[in-house]
Amino acid sequence: MFCYQCEQTDRSNADSGCATAKGMCGKDATTSDLQDLLVHGVKGIAQYAKRARALNAPDNAADDFILYAMFTTLTNVNFNATRFVAMIQEAAQIRDRVKASYMQAALASGLTPEELTGPAVWQPAADMDGMLKQAANVGINAGLDQVGPDIIGLRSLVLYGLKGVCAYAHHAYVLGKESNTIYAGIEDALDFLSSNPTDVEALLNQSMALGTLNLEVMALLDEANTGNFGAQQPTQVRITPIKGKAILVSGHDLGDLAALLEQTKDTGINIYTHGEMLPAHAYPKLKAYPHLVGNYGGAWQDQQKEFAEFPGAILMTSNCIIEPQAQYRQRIFTAGPVGWPGVRHISDKNFAPLIQAANALPGFKDDISEKFVTVGFGRDAVLGVADKVIDAVKSGAIQHFFLVGGCDGAAPGRNYYTEFAEQAPQDTVVMTLGCAKYRFNQHDFGDIGGIPRLLDIGQCNDSYSAIKIATALAGAFECGVNELPLSLVVSWFEQKAAAVLLTLLALGIRNIRLGPTLPAFLTPNLVQVLVDKFGLQPITTAQADIEASLTRKAA
Amino acid sequence: MNTHAIELTTRDGEQLRFECAADQNLLEAAANAHIILPAQCGQGNCGTCYADVTHGDFTLGKHNPAALPADDEAKGGTLLCCTFPKSDLRIDLPFDHDRILIGEIKIRNAEITAIDSVGENTLRLELRLAPNEDGGSVAEFEPGQFMELEVPDQDIKRAYSLANIGNWDGRLEFLIRLQPGGLFSTWLREQAAVGQTLIVHGPKGAFGLSESGLRPRWFVAGGTGLAPMLSMLRRMAEFQEPHPARLYFGANRAEELFCQTELKALQAELPQLQVIYCVWKPGNSWQGFCGTPVDALAQDLDSTTVLPDIYLCGPPALIDAAEAAAKAKGVPDKQVLSERFLPA
Repeated sequence: MFCYQCEQTDRSNADSGCATAKGMCGKDATTSDLQDLLVHGVKGIAQYAKRARALNAPDNAADDFILYAMFTTLTNVNFNATRFVAMIQEAAQIRDRVKASYMQAALASGLTPEELTGPAVWQPAADMDGMLKQAANVGINAGLDQVGPDIIGLRSLVLYGLKGVCAYAHHAYVLGKESNTIYAGIEDALDFLSSNPTDVEALLNQSMALGTLNLEVMALLDEANTGNFGAQQPTQVRITPIKGKAILVSGHDLGDLAALLEQTKDTGINIYTHGEMLPAHAYPKLKAYPHLVGNYGGAWQDQQKEFAEFPGAILMTSNCIIEPQAQYRQRIFTAGPVGWPGVRHISDKNFAPLIQAANALPGFKDDISEKFVTVGFGRDAVLGVADKVIDAVKSGAIQHFFLVGGCDGAAPGRNYYTEFAEQAPQDTVVMTLGCAKYRFNQHDFGDIGGIPRLLDIGQCNDSYSAIKIATALAGAFECGVNELPLSLVVSWFEQKAAAVLLTLLALGIRNIRLGPTLPAFLTPNLVQVLVDKFGLQPITTAQADIEASLTRKAA
Repeated sequence: MNTHAIELTTRDGEQLRFECAADQNLLEAAANAHIILPAQCGQGNCGTCYADVTHGDFTLGKHNPAALPADDEAKGGTLLCCTFPKSDLRIDLPFDHDRILIGEIKIRNAEITAIDSVGENTLRLELRLAPNEDGGSVAEFEPGQFMELEVPDQDIKRAYSLANIGNWDGRLEFLIRLQPGGLFSTWLREQAAVGQTLIVHGPKGAFGLSESGLRPRWFVAGGTGLAPMLSMLRRMAEFQEPHPARLYFGANRAEELFCQTELKALQAELPQLQVIYCVWKPGNSWQGFCGTPVDALAQDLDSTTVLPDIYLCGPPALIDAAEAAAKAKGVPDKQVLSERFLPA
């Protein structure tokens, strides 16, 4: 295997990347290699899908498969080699179907069909050993000796960003939203990768195109979330358990949560959110269920202890899953793109076995004294009080805004984000999103003239809300986002974050501070490009970065 | 090999002790002692298992320097997942006791809900774990694991493999061969009755399905060695796992075979499952394979192109013979997994 797609990748050797029998995330070499081969198969679908679409013969069902398949290859999503073997076979079948409709559409238009090469003509081996041999030639490092690490790094940036785009588009799709423009953009990017591009400019342009595409995807997902469940409202969420049977729901899929809430209505089972599901409490149609009682635990990397101690059943709806421990392996269920060998998977939103498990398990025996955090500061809530915020900036009561957010993780260096948020001066406002918030969301930040100093915008994909807020403020102050008294301090871990980063760069947002470490796939040359072009900065220490942010504003 | 005494002190002053061999990392040794310390990558890269050694010598294996800053290392800081003791060690943990999971073998009461004779000298014993205070009863175990069954107030305790799969009704199913003169067998034959209570210890054991992609799975069972195979096959059926699967089920005489109905039902749910009944001393009417399951296994290994994962359960002689046959046919050791039924 070779994989360096996440922040946690093995950096114990000179060449970073997980390349032994098992990656840092727990993904074994077999699964990793099969994921590479699946991506290869998906490129083949896109090669034909792009051309069929150009001839008005789109196959959106093929694109839905692309989204799902790409999502399964994100960090901490699917570790089940068996499911990858099946998906690889399916990818080839779908590719053949799309190819047939492309040929037909071309002939109908009097055109000679293009003779495609690469993934377009690949045939999956009959068994897994054969597939693993094929995978050896199609991993992200393929061609390294010929094209060098910078080109491989840029291809990685495109591929990993694209994985994030696909994951967000899948979240929107399962909530009933899809878009031909988005499908076309994804097909373009995959087709581009299938040509093994070597031109630096073209690769950078494709990265930026993906950033722009991802903004559209996040807008669509925002529309799906708010369209189905209403706009987020500031809401107090209980973070201590209450007596009774319990189910814990983790991941990002609000649709799975909604279905479970409906199926557990009047059963006496309480539903708790975990990790990135916390913002669910802010959506009117979800919080209307009285048995959505609270949030339990922290960010994903603490799940092994938290799930072991949770006295009920657990549902993992998307990333991030890590190896289920023996203590809870029998009572954790996966849904959607998630998978772990030996763990029950629910693919049809029929949560009966999960509910049965929750009923048999003891649940919480007592109420624990109540404690709350406040969530729900999406764009509606914040822009609803925009006048107040603008006045506070004009009067000097708010000196600066920080957006401190993104993914959390286990690396010790991530303390930086706690220190940063907690040490931000009292006349500054901290906006946050993603699971990085768990590093400081129980801290008492106070308020500035009634405006809370900590504004929780939502999940990582609610970066869209943050962008809307920043753009609206820039409009009010008649300046660009870069001229606002706003600094972005981003914590990344996986490929959704890579997609969001590309969006911010594509919007021309400068001086983003990125940590806890820079992506291993960015070579020193590529980092230099990002520094020169976008002023991207690695984090240093919280105090120094806070001071530098505030000085920049003054300068 | 010598082991070293390891003493952990948590931030809130709790102490835990365990033994660690010189060639074992501290994280693993602690886990063996049911002390589950916070850790993630287990490979020296993430820094989650950082701790300070206050007394003693150790070797630090390959790790990511970023996960263990030099100044921390200089003052005795280490990563437990790549620390190997050279002496007894005293270690300060940078977190409170409540961050540590203590995994212990569960001991519970279970009521006998059925005792059925399923074949000559073979019983199917079904238990239901005593419900917790609000009526729930959870049987959590992995296919292939076993439980120790203890008769209260009598010095009778015996381990049996589970034949069913984890469930939320508290059901435990065992297949038990009545051994002449065996303590548990005698108790079962003479005293056991539906409604009585047993004490169950477990689940225990590491035997179980190996996740190696879609490689075919061949199960070889002698007598009640069928129990863990049934459990694994039932799990495969529940999850609709697509692996090609074969079961070689052997007995000395045709009358000693059992669970044919259950296996037929399994085949309906798991259509790729082939069942090969093997009888060593067949009567005239026997239509199936004549010989031991190992004979059948060896014969089929000759003609297969893909070497399968082989699961073995039964008396030691059967396992030894099957392992030898697999080796002779070139099946790699790591593809042969076994559980021996040893005399009590």
